[in-house]
Amino acid sequence: MSHWEPKIVSFLCHWCSYGAADLAGVSRMEYPPNIRVIRIPCTGRMSPKFILAAFRQGADGVWVSG
Amino acid sequence: MLAYIDKIREISRRLLQEGTVDMVMGFRKGTVPMMNEPCFVKTPEDVDTFVWDSNCGINLANYLTNRQEKIGIIAKGCDSRNIVTHIIENKIKRDQLVIIGVPCKGMIDRRKIQALFETEIENVIEADGNITIKGRGLEKTLNKKDVLQDNCALCIHRNPVIYDELAGDLVEEQKDVDRYEDIRKIESLSPEEKWRYFDDLLSSCIRCYACRNACPLCYCPTCFVDESRPQWVGKSIDSIDTRTFHFLRAYHCAGRCTDCGSCERACPMGIKVRLFTKKLEKDCLELFDWEAGMTLEKRPPLDTYRPDDPDDFIK
Amino acid sequence: MKERIKRETRNILNEGWDGVLGLMNRWGQIGPYLFRDPEELEDIEIEPRYNLAKTIQLMLNKRPDLRIAAVVRGCDVRALRELEEMGKIKTQGLRLIGITCSHEQAEICNCEKPIYDTLNCTGCWKCIEACKEQAIERVNVCPILLPSEYDVGLAKRKAIYIPYAQAVPLKAIRDSEHCLKLAGVMDCKGCETACMANAILHEDHEQIDEIEVGSVILSPGFEPFDPSKFDNYNYANHPNVITSMEFERILSASGPTEGHLVRMSDHKEPKKIAWFQCIGSRDLNRSGNAFCSSVCCMYAIKEAVIAKEHAGSDLDCAIFFMDMRTHGKDFERFYESARDQHGVRFIRSRVHTIDPSAEDDLTVHYITENGSFESENFDLIVLSVGLQTPPQVIELANKLGVELTDGNFCKTDSFEPVATSRKGIYVCGAFQSPKDIPQSVVDASAAASAAGKILSDVRNTLTKTPEVIPETDIVGQRPKIGVFVCKCGINIAGVVDVPAVTEYAASLPYVEYVTNNLYTCSQDTQDTMSKVIKEKELNRVVVAACTPKTHEALFQETLINAGLNKYLFEMCNIRNQDSWVHKNNPELATEKAKDLVRMSITKVALMEPLEEAELDVNQTAMVLGGGISGMASARSLSRQGYETHIIEKSSSLGGQALNLYHTFDGGDVQKKLSKLVDDIETDKKIHVHLNTTVTEVEGFVGNFKSTLSNNGSQEVLEHGIAVLATGGKPLKPDEYSYGKDSRILTSLELDKKFIENDSLIDSLNTAVFIQCVGSREPDRPYCSRVCCTHSIKNALELKKRNPDMSIFILYRDIRTYGEREYLYQKARKAGIVFIRFSLNNKPEVNLQGDQLRVKVRDHILHRPLEISADLVTLASAIVPNKDEKLANFFKLPTNDDGFFIEKHAKLGPSEFATDGVFLCGLAHYPKPIDESIAQGLAAASRAVTLLSRKNILMSGTVAMTNPSYCSSCGVCISVCPYSAPSFIPEDDRFFPGRAQINPVLCKGCGLCVASCRSGAIHLKGFDNDQIFAQIFSLNEAV
Repeated sequence: MSHWEPKIVSFLCHWCSYGAADLAGVSRMEYPPNIRVIRIPCTGRMSPKFILAAFRQGADGVWVSG
Repeated sequence: MLAYIDKIREISRRLLQEGTVDMVMGFRKGTVPMMNEPCFVKTPEDVDTFVWDSNCGINLANYLTNRQEKIGIIAKGCDSRNIVTHIIENKIKRDQLVIIGVPCKGMIDRRKIQALFETEIENVIEADGNITIKGRGLEKTLNKKDVLQDNCALCIHRNPVIYDELAGDLVEEQKDVDRYEDIRKIESLSPEEKWRYFDDLLSSCIRCYACRNACPLCYCPTCFVDESRPQWVGKSIDSIDTRTFHFLRAYHCAGRCTDCGSCERACPMGIKVRLFTKKLEKDCLELFDWEAGMTLEKRPPLDTYRPDDPDDFIK
Repeated sequence: MKERIKRETRNILNEGWDGVLGLMNRWGQIGPYLFRDPEELEDIEIEPRYNLAKTIQLMLNKRPDLRIAAVVRGCDVRALRELEEMGKIKTQGLRLIGITCSHEQAEICNCEKPIYDTLNCTGCWKCIEACKEQAIERVNVCPILLPSEYDVGLAKRKAIYIPYAQAVPLKAIRDSEHCLKLAGVMDCKGCETACMANAILHEDHEQIDEIEVGSVILSPGFEPFDPSKFDNYNYANHPNVITSMEFERILSASGPTEGHLVRMSDHKEPKKIAWFQCIGSRDLNRSGNAFCSSVCCMYAIKEAVIAKEHAGSDLDCAIFFMDMRTHGKDFERFYESARDQHGVRFIRSRVHTIDPSAEDDLTVHYITENGSFESENFDLIVLSVGLQTPPQVIELANKLGVELTDGNFCKTDSFEPVATSRKGIYVCGAFQSPKDIPQSVVDASAAASAAGKILSDVRNTLTKTPEVIPETDIVGQRPKIGVFVCKCGINIAGVVDVPAVTEYAASLPYVEYVTNNLYTCSQDTQDTMSKVIKEKELNRVVVAACTPKTHEALFQETLINAGLNKYLFEMCNIRNQDSWVHKNNPELATEKAKDLVRMSITKVALMEPLEEAELDVNQTAMVLGGGISGMASARSLSRQGYETHIIEKSSSLGGQALNLYHTFDGGDVQKKLSKLVDDIETDKKIHVHLNTTVTEVEGFVGNFKSTLSNNGSQEVLEHGIAVLATGGKPLKPDEYSYGKDSRILTSLELDKKFIENDSLIDSLNTAVFIQCVGSREPDRPYCSRVCCTHSIKNALELKKRNPDMSIFILYRDIRTYGEREYLYQKARKAGIVFIRFSLNNKPEVNLQGDQLRVKVRDHILHRPLEISADLVTLASAIVPNKDEKLANFFKLPTNDDGFFIEKHAKLGPSEFATDGVFLCGLAHYPKPIDESIAQGLAAASRAVTLLSRKNILMSGTVAMTNPSYCSSCGVCISVCPYSAPSFIPEDDRFFPGRAQINPVLCKGCGLCVASCRSGAIHLKGFDNDQIFAQIFSLNEAV
C-alpha cells in the first residue's frame, strides 16, 4: 500500500440512507470500497457508544446517516 | 453567613416541629477544614448541627434520589436546578419537598487554597468576603474571589430557581460572565493538539467513579460502566476505556448538567472533568437555547421528540 | 458527417431519385422523413433513434415503384438483409447512404431486447447492460436508442428498459413498437443468451383479460401542457427555453446531469434563470386552458429554491407571475422564505416574448408593477407548464360515459367530490381537477372509501388463508447457521469471487452449511433452501445477496415454510452495496463481501426467535366533530359497516357549513347539508352525541377508551379508531372598523344574509370586499385558501340580484385555483372591479357620519381611491379550534398556527403519526367543502385499513424494557413519537413506576433504546449486543 486509505464504518437508517445506498448500486454509481455498512432501523437507534466502539475497533471515520 | 445559619436553623426547626417534613438535608462541619459534610437532621433538637459557609459545595440533590420521606432541603442555585431535574425525571416528587433556598455567593476551592501553602491548614475563617487561613506558623488572609471553585466564579444562577422558603435575601447575579472561554480555546485546537490535550487531561484518571458518585444526574440502578452484556466499556485504565467512560458520562449529562461542580470537586486526582459537560452545556445553549434545571415545564432538549424540530443541517 | 450526408443526398435528389429517407427534426420531434427538396436538408438529423428498416419495408411494399435512398447505419443494413432473406422486402429500388456509428454510440447501443416473463425476471438489468466481455461480442446488435420518457427526453433509453430506478416492480419492460424482434424487423437473439434467469419469452402477445368488478376508480392523471405551439416563447427552437418538467429532471440526482445544474445545450452552469408562470393555464386566448393548474406557483418556487441550493446563492432566480398562488398548507411560509431568505425575485408581469440573444442567452422585455419597461437577459428560461387532461383520457371518459367539465376534468359535485356522473365509477387525482400531491392522496383515499362503501358486503370474500407451518422451538440450541451466497447471475459473481466468499463463510464459527446459488431468490432455490434448513436442522440463516429492502420478506417467508421463526435471519448486502458499486475493484469488493458476511454471521448468531404481538381491533369508530368533514367520515364508516359515534360539542350537527350559502360550483349548501344531517340522524349505525366533549382518553390503536362528558354526566366509549374533525372558525377581525357598523360584515355574515334573504341585500348600490383579513399577515402567515373564491362567488351573487351594483374586490393575489378560476373570469366580465393592495399599504375603512368610506391605492393608476360603500365584506381568516387537551390525549402535534400536523405532509395528509388516529377538515388546514368532504372520506378510508382486520400481527422488531435496570427517568416516554412507553402503574406488584413498552404501538425505531441512559431498553432484532457483534467483528476491516 503506497498511500493511506481511511477505513470508514457507516450506520445507515433502514428507511432512507440504506435505501439510498441501494439506489446508488441500482444506478451503478461507483465509490471506493473502504466502507462497511451497518444497518440500523433509524438513526434514533444510534448510540454514541456505537461510534466510540467503531473508533475503538480502528475505524478512521464513522458516518451516521439517516 | 451567620444570618444564613440562624435562618436555616430556624426554618428547619419549624418544619420539623410542625411535622411538615420528616428530615432536613443540610450541612454540618466536617472533621477537617473546608470539608463540610451533608447531614440529615430528623429532630428539631438537632438543627443546630447545621452550618452554612463557603464550604458547602456538595450538591444535596444527589441525596434525594428515590427518597420516600417528606424532606426539607437546603438548596443553592445549582442544587435547586438539580432538584428541578430530579422532579422532571421522577426521582422525587415536588410535594415531598420543602425547598429552603439559599442565595449563594460561591463556594471556595480547597485545592486552590491548599496549593498555596506547604503546611497543613488547621482552621479557615470566613468574614467579609475574605478567607483567613490558619495553620502551624501560618496565618494568611485571602480574597474569597480569588479562591472560588471554577464553576462558582462563572456562575450566573446563584439564586435558587425553585424554593418554598428563603434563608436570605436574593443576591445579585453575576453579569457579563464569559462562561465558555476555556471551551472555545479547546474548540479552536487542531485535531492533533486536541488529542494531546485530552490525553494529558485524562492521564491521571484512576477510574474511581467519584465524579459519577458525586453527580446528582448519575442515579441509574446499574451504571453502564458496570454492565457486562453488552460490555459498553472495558474496566481497565487503558486510555481508550478511560476516555470512553468520560465521554459517555458526559453524554449522559448533556442538556441536564447544571455545572454544579460536584464531579470536579470530588475528583481525587484534580481532573477538570467539567470540560466535557461544559462543552455539551454550551452546545445546548447555542443550539436549543437551553439551560438545564430552569423550569419544571420542559424536559431537556435531548429528551424530547418533535416532528417539526428544525432540520436545517440536512441539505 | 452531417455535411457529407447532405452533399450525398443533394446529389441523389439531383440525379432524379424520388426521395431520401432520413431523420428530420420537426417541431422538436425527431422522426423519419422522406426528403424530396434539397432545401429541407437543413433539418436533417443523424441521431440514431429510429431503426429505419421497418419504415423502408412499409414504403417499398406500398409503393414498389418508388426509387428512394435511405440514410442507414450498419444495423439497419443488417436488418434490411435479414428482411430480404425472409423475402419481406425487395431492395432493387433502394439506394443506401451508409453512416458509421461512433464508438461511443456503439457502447450506448449495447442493448438486448428480450421479451420478459415477469415471474422470472429478477430485475438484474443484465439484459440491458450486458457485462463488458459480452458487450464486445454484441456491439451494435441493437440500434435502438429512444428519448427516455422518465427524463422527458433529456436522456436516452433502450428499447428494453426499466422505466426508472425506483420502479415497482423492478422489472424490465420491452418497447414493442421499437424492439427489432417484436416489430418483426430482424430476429435478434442476443438477449436470449444475456438473460441468465431464463425470463425471456420467445413468444409473447397481447392478452385481453376480463375482470368483473363492482366499482371502478379513475386515476389517469394529467399531461403537462406542450408549449411548442407558442412561437413567441421559442420553446421548440431554442434549447435554453425548457419546461418545468425538464428542469425537474435536471435538478434530480437521478436525472441526466445527476442533479448538477447545467444547461443541456452547452453544459454550462447558468447564472440567471427565469420562470414564466401560467404557461397553458389561465390562458383562454392561446392555449384554450382557462383554468388555473393550481400547482405551478408552488413548484416554480420550489425549483428556484432547490436550484439555488444546488448552484449556490449567486444564482439569480426570477419568477414572472400574475398572482402568486401559494394556498397550500405551509406554502405561504415557503414563498416568504424563498423571497426573503433565499433571495428569489418575484416579478409580477406576464412576459410576451422570449428573444434569443448572443451566446445562446435569452432576452425578455417586461413591464414592472410600477409601469416601467425593463429588458433583462437570462441564461435559461423555464416555462411553468400547466396540467391538462390528455386526449386519450377524454376518449376514455367518453367511452365510459363519464361527464367532463369545461376544462375537460371529470365532473363531480362538491358534496360528492370523488363520484363521477356514472354510478360506481369514482375519480381521484388531477383528472378530477388540477391538484398537488397531498390533495391527490386525499382524493385517492376518498375514492377508495367511496368504492369500499358499495363493496362492503363482499369484503374479504376472495381472501385465501395460507397453511400454517408449526414453528420449531430452537431455544437453548447452539447456533447452527446456514449461509447462502448469491451469484445473482453475474451481477455479483462478475465482480465478487463468490466461491472464495462461500469458502470463507464455511470457516466461521457456528456455520453449519454454506452454498452458493445462481439466483438465491428463484423459486427452486427457495424450495431447496427450505429443504436444507430442515435436513441440516439449521436454526439461523444468512443470505448474502441483494438488499433486505426488497428481498428480506421473501427469504423470511422461506424460513417460515421451513418451520423457523422468521427473525432468525440476516441479510447481507453484497450486490447493491458491493458488486454494483465496486465493479472496477473486484479484489477489494471480494474482501468487503467477506467482511459483510462475517458481520452478518456474528449478528445472526445472537438473533432470537421473536413473537409478533397480536392486536385486536375494536370495530367501533369515534369521530370527533360533527361538522361537514366529520359527518362525511362518519357516514362513510357506517356505510362500510362500522358502528360510529359522532362527538359534537355544540348542540347541533353541521359546523361551519351551517353558515355557508353556496359552494363554488353553485350547490345550495343548506339543502345538501340538511340531507347529510338527515342521513346521519337516520343511520342506525351512527350514534350522535351532542353537547358532548371528550374528557379523557386511555388506551391505544384498536383499543381506545374515551370518557365522554355531557352536561356533567360521564360515559365511557370503547373504540378502535378515532377521527379528529375538530374544525375551525372564522377569525373575528380587529381591523377595518369591524364591529363598529352593521354594514361591515365577515364573509360568513354575508352568507347568512343570503341564506335569510335579508332585505339589506336588495338595497345595496356599492359593495366592497376586502381580502386576506387576518391571513397572510405576520401573525398568521398562511393563506386561508377559500376566501378569494368565496368573495368572488358572493360578489357575483350580488351582481346577479342587482346587475347595476358597483362591486370592488380589494385583494393581494387572487387565488381561484383549479376551475374556480372561471368565477374570477366571470366576475371581471361582469364588471366587478379588482384592486390590488400590498401588505404595507392596506385599505382603510372609515365611518364618516353614516357614510362608509373605503380608501385604497389603485394599483394601475397609482392614485388613491375612495369608495363610498353600502357594504364592506371582510374575508376573514380561518383559524383552527385549538384544543390542547385533546391533542395531548392522543399525543398529536400542532403547528405554529394551531393546525394539526399530519403524519406526512404529502403522503399521509389524513392520518397522524399516532396509530389509529385520523384527521380531516379545517383542523388540518383551511379548505372548501369539496375538499373537507374528500378528506372526511379519506380519513374513513385510512381508518378502515385498520377496522377491516379484526386483529393485526405487529412487527417483532420492537423495544422491550428490563425494568430492573430502569431508573424511571421518563426519557423514553418523552422521546417516543408513538406513545409506546409508559410507566408501570403504581399499584402493580412488580416494578411499579418503571417503564414498559407496548409492543403494539412500538415501531421499532430504537429512539428510546439509544436515549436510555440506564441501558434498560432492548431493541429486538437490533439489540445492543447484536450491533456490537457487528462492530466487534469488523476486525481487520477497520
